[in-house]
Amino acid sequence: MKGRKLLEYLLALAVSVLLALIVGGVIMALSGFDPIKGYRLMIEGAFSKPRLVGNTLAKAATLCLTGLATAIAAQAGIFNVGGEGQLYLGAIASAFVGARLTGVSPVIGIPLCLLAAMAAGGFYAWVPGMLKVRMKVDEVVTTILLNSAAIYFCAYLANGPLKTAERGINSGTDSVDPAFMFERLIRSSNLTQSIFLSVVIALLVWYIMRRTTAGFEMKLTGQNGRFARYSGLKAERLAIGSMVVSGAICGLVGMFEVFGLHRRFITTVSQEFYYDGMLVAMMMRYQPLGIILMSLFFGAMKIGGTYMEAQAGIPSSLVIVIQSIIIFFMAAEDGILQAFRGWRTRRRAALTLTKGG
Amino acid sequence: MDEPIVSFRHVSMQFPGVLANDDVSLDIRRGEVFALVGENGAGKSTLMNILYGMNAPTSGTVSIRGQEVRHFSPSEAISRGVGMVHQHFMLVPSFTVAQNIVLGREPKRLGLFCDFPKMRAITEHLVAEYGLRVNPDDKVSEISVGLQQRVEILKTLHRGADVLILDEPTAVLTPQETDELFTVIRRIVKEKQMTIIIITHKLYEVMAISDRVGVMRAGRLVGVCETKDVNERILASMMVGREVLLGQLDRHDPDTSDNEIAIHVEKLQVSDNRGLTVVRGLSLDVHRGEILGIAGIEGNGQSELVEAITGMRRFSGGDVTIGGKSIKGMNPGQVRSLGVAHIPEDRLATGVSAPADVTDNLIVGKERQPRFSIGGIHMKKRPIRRWAQETFDRFDIRGAGLDTAVGSLSGGNMQKVVIAREFSFETPVLIISQPTRGVDIGAMEAIHQLIMDKRNSGCAILLVSADLDELYRLSDRLMTIYEGRITGEFIPSEIPKTEISYYMTGGTKEAQA
Repeated sequence: MKGRKLLEYLLALAVSVLLALIVGGVIMALSGFDPIKGYRLMIEGAFSKPRLVGNTLAKAATLCLTGLATAIAAQAGIFNVGGEGQLYLGAIASAFVGARLTGVSPVIGIPLCLLAAMAAGGFYAWVPGMLKVRMKVDEVVTTILLNSAAIYFCAYLANGPLKTAERGINSGTDSVDPAFMFERLIRSSNLTQSIFLSVVIALLVWYIMRRTTAGFEMKLTGQNGRFARYSGLKAERLAIGSMVVSGAICGLVGMFEVFGLHRRFITTVSQEFYYDGMLVAMMMRYQPLGIILMSLFFGAMKIGGTYMEAQAGIPSSLVIVIQSIIIFFMAAEDGILQAFRGWRTRRRAALTLTKGG
Repeated sequence: MDEPIVSFRHVSMQFPGVLANDDVSLDIRRGEVFALVGENGAGKSTLMNILYGMNAPTSGTVSIRGQEVRHFSPSEAISRGVGMVHQHFMLVPSFTVAQNIVLGREPKRLGLFCDFPKMRAITEHLVAEYGLRVNPDDKVSEISVGLQQRVEILKTLHRGADVLILDEPTAVLTPQETDELFTVIRRIVKEKQMTIIIITHKLYEVMAISDRVGVMRAGRLVGVCETKDVNERILASMMVGREVLLGQLDRHDPDTSDNEIAIHVEKLQVSDNRGLTVVRGLSLDVHRGEILGIAGIEGNGQSELVEAITGMRRFSGGDVTIGGKSIKGMNPGQVRSLGVAHIPEDRLATGVSAPADVTDNLIVGKERQPRFSIGGIHMKKRPIRRWAQETFDRFDIRGAGLDTAVGSLSGGNMQKVVIAREFSFETPVLIISQPTRGVDIGAMEAIHQLIMDKRNSGCAILLVSADLDELYRLSDRLMTIYEGRITGEFIPSEIPKTEISYYMTGGTKEAQA
């Protein structure tokens, strides 16, 4: 998007967010809470202490990566609902490798763990991608089903064959070599060194989607598969490839959880992180830049919402309400844009008339 | 004079970047056949979409039966007796004819259950009343396009329309179906006092069917005439704003029969989507520097033949060699790498990505060339844009900018985008299918000259078209196809058009001899 179009888009976005916040405030007021206080607490909860800022950024990074994972598959026309499963497999695969490589230099060990996460997540996305492209099996169905399969399979491993022998640990794999861990950047916050990798990945995905031939070809494949094939693009390979990249990103998100916070694979490694990111991606219509920005906003709302609930008893599920309303308004983006254009045209006409007369 | 049944007053329609209608005022009289002609992008469909309530005009008013329309929606238009049959039909393929006709106004039993016998009765009643013969129990997916069109017309009639808008009704019809449609139009106008507005490009149809004709150019209505006062030449010059003389192409005619064979098709067998063999042992050769035309009534295997030669469809027997190499098992990309460019018959479904902008649609397939990307990876925006702008200007694409979504272009301009992209590959072999379908005369002339220039520069061109005039203008040799077989080979100047239709309908040289 360029120039005016981008500006209009951002404007429509700002209007949607504002309207959603207003509706959220009305709901707070109707439930007997003070909306001003609510939003103040939310902002406080997200930014008032270094620890909270750290949590906000960490949350935003997760939303951003999972959102971009949704977006890159969507660009090639595949709706990946299976990121949660890919995340789990990435987490357990990297935890396994990280525990086995104990004693190896981190310079070799960490890349191998990254590879394991990407391979596991990528493979698990390749399966539905393959089925979709070669056999026209609906990917929404397969990815949803594969989610459950992965989550339960990982739970079995963590409680069975891969269960750690460490004392006091009921469920979970062996802990990874401490030398491989991402260090916390702010004390007692969830922000770890993985944020740097996340930023690099986010920019890379944006670059692939918007600036490379592969991203361009994916876009056309997603828009009109028959046209892509006719044009001689390797449509099938592009679609499967985008799915594998999507899965690999999810795998990395899983790994960052393990190597940043939990030290081992645990069955609660993700609390439906992927679905949150998917919502952000859908809200932003799979625009990579928008997803990056919106992730920061929702990271803040999620963290701030929890604080608000703890401080004032305002349910943090309000955040979900606001999220839904934004999706609602973004769906009406075209309408909002048109209303805006109409208003501008009328204003111009009025101006011309005034000048003329 | 009677009050006009439809009246446009100073109607303008502004789309993003395009003024599609510019201060149009027009009256349609009750009981007339009014033809609306103009080049692609002239604003005919836009104007009729306003009447049918699909779009509200930016300014101006529309009145139906003297009452101004305030709320623009198709349901409002239908309730005021206006019906429209679109170029692309809006039928449910898995429903029967009767079910499609009553859809939205189904007769019910106990207010809940569909009354199927009544549906049939309604359909039969409509058939008897208007003389549009259809079988109520046929599935829409199994009847011909001509019959589907009748179903569309009956559907609008069932909704009580007495003003009927037909958007390029003959684009999909065979000559015989066209004649039948015209007979029906004449009858319903005469007997039922219907008003018909027909959007078309084909000037001889205007002369054949209409009482009055309105000509649009670049969004304006440039003239309204009694049909009997004008002729095709006058209309054509009104449409494009200059004299159009079809038939004067810049062509050189050296003997090409000794030229290298570029496309060699041998005993080709191809199946269609249903698995039926529709190309049955077809053979042909195309030499460099010549245009081989394939004439046939649609549905005789031409589409599948083209798809097989371009790698879009697997073939089950025989072989195709291009520049001496067999393309068996190749995908379209591999066939293209042998030096083939392809203009497909269905540009919207195959030839473009409608939501993508003009630049994207022009550059596809070239994005990995070193001049447009670094290492085949990083796209170089500026050179792409510069090249797209040059190509855009060279092929005279109008009514749009480089950032316009191709889906919002008119048929002619969309086709120019396809041709610009394919011709700029500079390949020695061109497979061209229906190059000017739904394209206005101005663009048609330009496209024909572009094709001829390609031939003059030594390209081997296979041209498939349903338009005999086009085949006669362009082809060096002409083959007729019927039920997947070649039924004859001709030099266009040596056989009259009337005779060639004999071969298109299954006649053979032996039978005639």
